[in-house]
Amino acid sequence: MHVPDGIFPLWLQILMYAISGIMLFISVKMINKKFDDKLVPYMGVLAAVIYAAQFVNFPVPPSSGHLIGATLLAVMLGPWGGMLIIGMVLFIQALSGDGGLLTYGVNFFNMGIFSCLVGWALALMLFKGMKRTMHEKKAVIVATAIASFITTVLAAFVLGLELLTVTGFGMPALVAITTIHVFIGVGEALLTSVILLYFVRAKPQIISFLKESETSEMARVPVAPVPELQIEE
Amino acid sequence: MDRTEMMRYLIPLIAVIIIVTSVIIFGLASQNPDGFEWSFFHFAGISFPTGGFEGIWGFLGESVYARALEGIIGISIVLVLGFVFFKMASRKTE
Repeated sequence: MHVPDGIFPLWLQILMYAISGIMLFISVKMINKKFDDKLVPYMGVLAAVIYAAQFVNFPVPPSSGHLIGATLLAVMLGPWGGMLIIGMVLFIQALSGDGGLLTYGVNFFNMGIFSCLVGWALALMLFKGMKRTMHEKKAVIVATAIASFITTVLAAFVLGLELLTVTGFGMPALVAITTIHVFIGVGEALLTSVILLYFVRAKPQIISFLKESETSEMARVPVAPVPELQIEE
Repeated sequence: MDRTEMMRYLIPLIAVIIIVTSVIIFGLASQNPDGFEWSFFHFAGISFPTGGFEGIWGFLGESVYARALEGIIGISIVLVLGFVFFKMASRKTE
């Protein structure tokens, strides 16, 4: 899903750079407010694991896929921490020629902002429903796997919509990119559940959905308070 | 973080580096185009843009060893960058 330079029109790249800049700024602010320095070593390890996992493509004939890891990170650290790690990973990849430097904003929007926020919201919704009927550790793995599958397909669809700005890329290609990611999404879900299973067993404290979590505070997404109606008697 | 806990994280990380290096060197990673490349260049038939930035490791060439080295360096840089960035972002715990 890493798009190289020379594909998208300039206006889209500038727009995505602006959105990415704003979201990175918000993420840094959120992390600065709530980040606990006990968690520092895990952040480096998680970033390295995601980079390594993105480095290897698994076959999905006639194509191939690799882990994105956005839903996994969002469930573990919250969408802000997830976005920052994906941002770092994509930046190093762009420097290595995997994904363009000018298209960094677009790639970060698809694999970082969109995937972390949507993945986190879907996983949270599924987790809340599932933990009523199963153990919360099992629920977090199943919910995250399903959410990562849906998020991968949706992110590919969003990329397809962006690619409609390119001459020669039409509706059949949009259907093709979404369809091929249905199969890639299965790989994403499998890898996500294997990695999450390891962390559930080894360090459940860094999974924001779990009771014993130490990351739930930084994973919070502020929701605008609903103004209360004042009823005068 | 005590030594035992640190080892609990370092061992999987080292294992990941070894697995990724082996997968690249022994050619186990898929050589097929990824989902975007397949649908854009193969399905839609749009030609690959030329003259783009090849990456800072472009001078190493295209061999599997160069790719493995690129992976190891990348993993190490991300590890250090993640550590330094979040160290700076962290607040002191009481």
